[in-house]
Amino acid sequence: MSPLRRFLRMPEALAGTAILAVLFAMALAAPLIFPGDPQAIAGPALLPPFQDWSLPLGTDRLGRDVLAELFHGARTSLAVGLAAAAAALAVGAIVGTLAGFAGGLVDDVLMRITDAFQTVPSFLLALAFVSAVGPSLGVVVVAIALGAWTGPARVARAEVLSIRERDFVAGARVIGMHPLEIAFREILPNALPPVLALSSVIVAAAILTEAALSFLGLGDPNRVTWGGMIAEGRAVLRTAPFLSIIPGVALVLTVLGVYLAGEGVIETTAVRRSLS
Amino acid sequence: MSSPLLSVSGLTKRYRRGGKTIAAVDNVSFHIEPGETLALAGPSGSGKSTIARLVLRLVQPDAGDIQFKGEDFLALGGATLRARRARLQMVFQDPLAAFNPRATVARVLDDPLRIHGIASRSERPRRIAALLERVGLSPDLAPRAIHEISGGQRQRVAIARAIATKPSLIVLDEAVSALDVSVRGQILRLLLDLQREERIAYLFISHDLGVVRAIAHRLVILDAGTIAESGDARTVIDAPQSAIGKALVVAAPKLDRTGP
Repeated sequence: MSPLRRFLRMPEALAGTAILAVLFAMALAAPLIFPGDPQAIAGPALLPPFQDWSLPLGTDRLGRDVLAELFHGARTSLAVGLAAAAAALAVGAIVGTLAGFAGGLVDDVLMRITDAFQTVPSFLLALAFVSAVGPSLGVVVVAIALGAWTGPARVARAEVLSIRERDFVAGARVIGMHPLEIAFREILPNALPPVLALSSVIVAAAILTEAALSFLGLGDPNRVTWGGMIAEGRAVLRTAPFLSIIPGVALVLTVLGVYLAGEGVIETTAVRRSLS
Repeated sequence: MSSPLLSVSGLTKRYRRGGKTIAAVDNVSFHIEPGETLALAGPSGSGKSTIARLVLRLVQPDAGDIQFKGEDFLALGGATLRARRARLQMVFQDPLAAFNPRATVARVLDDPLRIHGIASRSERPRRIAALLERVGLSPDLAPRAIHEISGGQRQRVAIARAIATKPSLIVLDEAVSALDVSVRGQILRLLLDLQREERIAYLFISHDLGVVRAIAHRLVILDAGTIAESGDARTVIDAPQSAIGKALVVAAPKLDRTGP
């Protein structure tokens, strides 16, 4: 059975993929369906959902269209989540490969740095970094990646430690290959599958961290974010709870979708690896 | 008499295990002349493979001296060592483990040509095809993945990779032991042809004295990291002097049928 068909037979993986597909469609369609600034005033303030069909999810305290904000917020969440996870995985894989392959002093230094990053709670690290450097999309991505690369680094190092003793690495040395090429062209690609298995957890955590930073007012002020929407709705939580609930549900579904789809991919590739 | 191609003297490698120091290789000396096959034989754990890895600088010896082409091979490092490796190649026992599991045949043969600047990028596909034909394989195998071809074909690819840099010495670490008998004969013939035509010397490591007799000029029998006896391969196999030599000959019953 092909991996794709095995994947399609897992209902939870399908559900996760469907959620992600809707989310990507929202993110891509946002500027088409809601051209113009989603932060512009679109109607009366605090209009509840399902009252006016030109503003289906209602408006917030300033009269901004909640549906437009939700669509544009999906862009930010996905962009930050994917970029931060990609950065964390790349840095982690490189640090882990260097540490595992070089051994000795290099290994010790790199792993103590990893320890240092791991002992600081990653959210505090992100918070401190954004507070110090100033909120913008790029800074938020770096701040989140700063706390997320240690896991991939440890997994990559453990994998590299076992791979570097294999004959094909000795073979690469015998033909005179440069150590850096051995590390990154021969060993790293073979160490990658277990590292990539972490990606769904990291993307999900990155999306939540981004939301938390935005909730605390440390997101990019020029972009709509779900975390920012929840913070905005908090002031009127008693009178207009939908303002917090709608982006909150969107967040929960996104994290769930990422996680389920990611688990599905891991499951199918794991079976394929054990069969071969 | 010209100086030997490879001369090893006093080679020693110790491993510490649980507080005890075990000498895997203890004060071993031998030499190889150009175009000659020297066999290292001995039971498991006698230090054969450790010697191969020491000679190739894959592990560092605790003591001893290795001269390769009149140069102190142990003193080399970095880029100089990588450049010299072109002259000293190796073929591993398990041809599947010896290649990157993601590699294709073409990539495996491309690496030495690229690293040692033997052929330009545009010239390499032709050189790869020529190497495959040299070891008796079809050039059509080039785009195939390593795990898609048979064990015998894989060992031929390993030999093609080893001869890509035109080495003077190839270390064959149990290179035919994992192959079935019919393929083994073909690979041995290929090795003999290559040696005759290119004057390549072999350090042939094996526990199978039948194979050693067919290919080696001289033989060194190892036991527990030391040399038990050495000499002309046929002489040693026909009349072993050491206890371990006698045991190895007895353990190779097919010698009786393939004798002279």
